[in-house]
Amino acid sequence: MHAVVFIKQVPQQNSVKITPDKQIDASGIEPIISLFDEYALEEALLQVEKNGGQVTVVTIGGEEQIDALRKALAMGANQAILVNDPALATIGSLDAAKVGAAVVKKLGDFDAIFCGKQSTDDETAVFGPALARYLGLPVLSYVFKVHELDANARRVVVDRAMETTTETVEASLPAVLTTVKDLNQPRYPSLLKIKKAQKADIPRWTAADLGLNPTELAPKVTYLDRVPPPPRPKGSIIDGASAQEKARKLVDALVDTQVI
Amino acid sequence: MANEIWLFVEEHNGELTAATKELISKARELAEGLGRHVAALVLSPRAAEIANHVFGYGVPKAYIVEDPALEHYTTDAYVGAAAALVKQYQPKVLLTGASFQMRDFTAALAADVDAGLGADCTGVAVRDGQIIAMRPSHGANVINTLGFNSDMVIVSLRRQVATEAQAVGGTGEIVRGQMPQLPQRMKVLKVEDKSNAVNLADSQIIVSGGRGLGSPENYEKLVPTLAQAFNGAYGASRAIVDAGWVPYERQVGQTGKTVSPKLYVACGISGAIQHLAGMRNSGTIVAINKDPDAPIFKVATYGLVGDVNELLPALTEIVEQKTRS
Repeated sequence: MHAVVFIKQVPQQNSVKITPDKQIDASGIEPIISLFDEYALEEALLQVEKNGGQVTVVTIGGEEQIDALRKALAMGANQAILVNDPALATIGSLDAAKVGAAVVKKLGDFDAIFCGKQSTDDETAVFGPALARYLGLPVLSYVFKVHELDANARRVVVDRAMETTTETVEASLPAVLTTVKDLNQPRYPSLLKIKKAQKADIPRWTAADLGLNPTELAPKVTYLDRVPPPPRPKGSIIDGASAQEKARKLVDALVDTQVI
Repeated sequence: MANEIWLFVEEHNGELTAATKELISKARELAEGLGRHVAALVLSPRAAEIANHVFGYGVPKAYIVEDPALEHYTTDAYVGAAAALVKQYQPKVLLTGASFQMRDFTAALAADVDAGLGADCTGVAVRDGQIIAMRPSHGANVINTLGFNSDMVIVSLRRQVATEAQAVGGTGEIVRGQMPQLPQRMKVLKVEDKSNAVNLADSQIIVSGGRGLGSPENYEKLVPTLAQAFNGAYGASRAIVDAGWVPYERQVGQTGKTVSPKLYVACGISGAIQHLAGMRNSGTIVAINKDPDAPIFKVATYGLVGDVNELLPALTEIVEQKTRS
């Protein structure tokens, strides 16, 4: 089977700055593979180990994203592709999914596509479902258990984790799966594999390589403004001689302000 | 007929959900701002009956698809039915809730009908005759104001961002759409309620616990009890979810749930950026922690410095007294 995994490199934590021209500045923050994407990659590796085949890992973004791809190779992906084109630098989630669809079409044969339910920076949760629609495929989002993925029988059965229910859903392959946290335990690559991945050849594809005209990817959503969250009103520490006194003062304050 | 402001209707146990009632208010506000009309989008095997409920809240029109294939949500069925109606009647705006189901639906629908999408927003408004939407990103460290270049705008809205519309009685017009031919490729085999399921995003009061509680036993003993006294729900920090004390579905934070209840009580939680991302928009925040320098106190409305194992039982007792009186 051929599994395609889309991953994105994001800041390890989100104390980012906003530049005067409304861009996000994450300099000085350690870059990592977005948490949910790491589960997606691990699941693809597990399924390919069962079914036989190979894993292709793809990132759309700038040259700095190469580290995420090298880590994915070290974890066991067979090949990596970086779609790097300055014309694509500011595309939104829907257009990124269009680019993703063009990548998948160029790759040709595949059985399943995995990605995280959302990135931990932009947090739109749009890429996976939109990718599926652009490719005309079924989408299984919020997957937290893969019961069965049979590349020969062209069938996948998963559990989806919704807010108050668990849904067991069957779909035909190929399909797009988006993953939540904890559906597996992402592996740590060995030192040997990390070294090998450093030397791996990672092709760069441009919009032209994908037959895309960047002017057709003009964003439908623009950022009119980007600001830090308003500071919270200054709070107060509630003192008291005992736990009971502190608790009583707190409850009085909550009642006075009609919170309870 | 075109250019209406649509809202997606969800029902639970024969009642419009609170999220839907908020969307009715929001849609009405946008319609007034743009000089348009409000209409509901109802996809269900019982769509006509549900449309009549919506008319009771002052919505004058409903576009419906009534078909057994809409019993359980599948992306294929729901997006197929909605896309056909959208292409025919061309609404200006579609508002939906921001549940996982709706996040899936709006992403797929926006791709199908080439709409601009504001995902998981905390506000939507009319400014200079244009729709704008507010959405937090980067763990609530960035507040984005979105503008749209597309003919149609889809916005999924979080809970508790508008007042709920009130029932006023009334009737309306039903416009029926057809269920399109679906590819036979997706089937819901089973839908199970989670045991002790709680939708944290819907809760007005949330009590959360963290590593400062010391042990899973202390969490189990103290946090649900205090939550119950408040008649609220209980959550947890990532640290204790990762440590296996509490299941993932209770995790509040960047990689868990984002909540904005009226009252959030953080017990033994230091206040890592990852946790603040999930709760800093709460109305009132109470922090209980033995370390007076813990970052959680920077966002707290009220801080209690001390041992959670003493403070929580005392607080539970006093809250119980108050709520009984």
